[in-house]
Amino acid sequence: MNPQLDTRLFEPARLNLLIGLALFVLFLVVNIARARGGAAMFIRPMAGLKAVEEAIGRATEMGRPVLYVPGLGDMSEGGTLASITILSRVARRTAEMGCDLEVPGYDPVATTMMEGAARQAYVEAGRGDSFRAGSVHYVSAQQFAYVAAVTGYMLRERPAANIFMGSFYAESLFLAETGNLTGAIQIAGTDQVTQLPFFVCACDYALLGEELYAASAYLGREPIQLATIAAQDWAKGLAAGIVIVASILTALGHPEVGRLLQTR
Amino acid sequence: MRNGPYVVTFLTGALIVSFFFIPHHRAQEAQSVILDWSNVVYAFALILGSVTLWAGHQRKVATRAPGWAYSVVTLASLAFVTIWGVAQGVEEGTAVNAFYNSVNSPLASTMFALLAFFIASAAFRAFRARNTEATLLLVTAIVMMIGRVSVGEFIWPGFPKLTEWLLDVPNLAAKRAVAMGVGLGAVSTALRIILGIDRTYLGRS
Repeated sequence: MNPQLDTRLFEPARLNLLIGLALFVLFLVVNIARARGGAAMFIRPMAGLKAVEEAIGRATEMGRPVLYVPGLGDMSEGGTLASITILSRVARRTAEMGCDLEVPGYDPVATTMMEGAARQAYVEAGRGDSFRAGSVHYVSAQQFAYVAAVTGYMLRERPAANIFMGSFYAESLFLAETGNLTGAIQIAGTDQVTQLPFFVCACDYALLGEELYAASAYLGREPIQLATIAAQDWAKGLAAGIVIVASILTALGHPEVGRLLQTR
Repeated sequence: MRNGPYVVTFLTGALIVSFFFIPHHRAQEAQSVILDWSNVVYAFALILGSVTLWAGHQRKVATRAPGWAYSVVTLASLAFVTIWGVAQGVEEGTAVNAFYNSVNSPLASTMFALLAFFIASAAFRAFRARNTEATLLLVTAIVMMIGRVSVGEFIWPGFPKLTEWLLDVPNLAAKRAVAMGVGLGAVSTALRIILGIDRTYLGRS
């Protein structure tokens, strides 16, 4: 059908996605209600996020800055949104501990949002005057120009802690190895599956995939935010169950359930 | 007024999500318009970012901070590309295009080439038989490296097949599992922002 003349109000091939989204929203509503009712939300400990506190403390003791690299994604990417929310938490801790924070930005829109989030975090920590103008700054929207600038900063200023959170691509190992050369403690988290092995090998702590998205809620420890992680886990359990059932049925010669999961 | 940004976020987010399920041509046209608006916002943010970049490097030159000579190069490049790009354009045959092809591209390629050495140094540090998992990683890495080069087949004909199996079965299974988690995490983050549960992106807790 010519897309310009398409007058349908719903795409039937995407009904399964709509049902999945509706279920996710239902899980969200149920868990938020549980959180508001006072139910305890258990989140398994994540070593990488516990290490953020230690890393900032280490930087404060050494009198060296914390470098926060928010990745190379733009505002349309979930990894960048997660990175901004994590930055807000990290900025609050650096403000409370009196540590310097440096955030080189790749995307100009995301950099503007990050500056606002960091500045507000300092204000909420009661250290609005300590926020250094220029600590969150735009560098370049060219991949390796950005990498050159960030690695140059690492080698000159020798930050005590490097936190890489967001969407990274070919430059991930570049950043991690250079940081390793300077002796900084390194914590990384990315949603890019192909870059995870590099961060696992080269960094002290790594957040794998969805842990990046859970990090903001984990660091804030607000019940409503933790409820969204619980909803995420319920959805993951349901998806895993459906995949297992579909796989078994397909192997037994009944691919109908598997076909229901196909999308266009 | 204070809740204005949340309302805009909710309406825009809900609209974009609904357009995914609505193939009506008017909905798709509206989606294109909204995406064009985001390009306009990006352009203004780029101007803001460039001004910030200029101010930062100008301060370094004025105070003769360490490495200020590199800031002079940055400022000169920024001015040249901006002025010549606006005046002459950036198509094939223009000065900016020539600058990009003869300076920027080779520099980016050089940086990319350095990755090979970083991979070697990371592998040297990471592939140590410290514990069971590290030993498994070491053995797998050795099998992969031998299986990927031409001489591997001459050492043992099974190396390429074993390499392909490692990539197609355990590696792919793990990648898909992580990708599923990432997908659900992205949906969770997007819903938190659209529904106003997470407001830190606006600088509010």
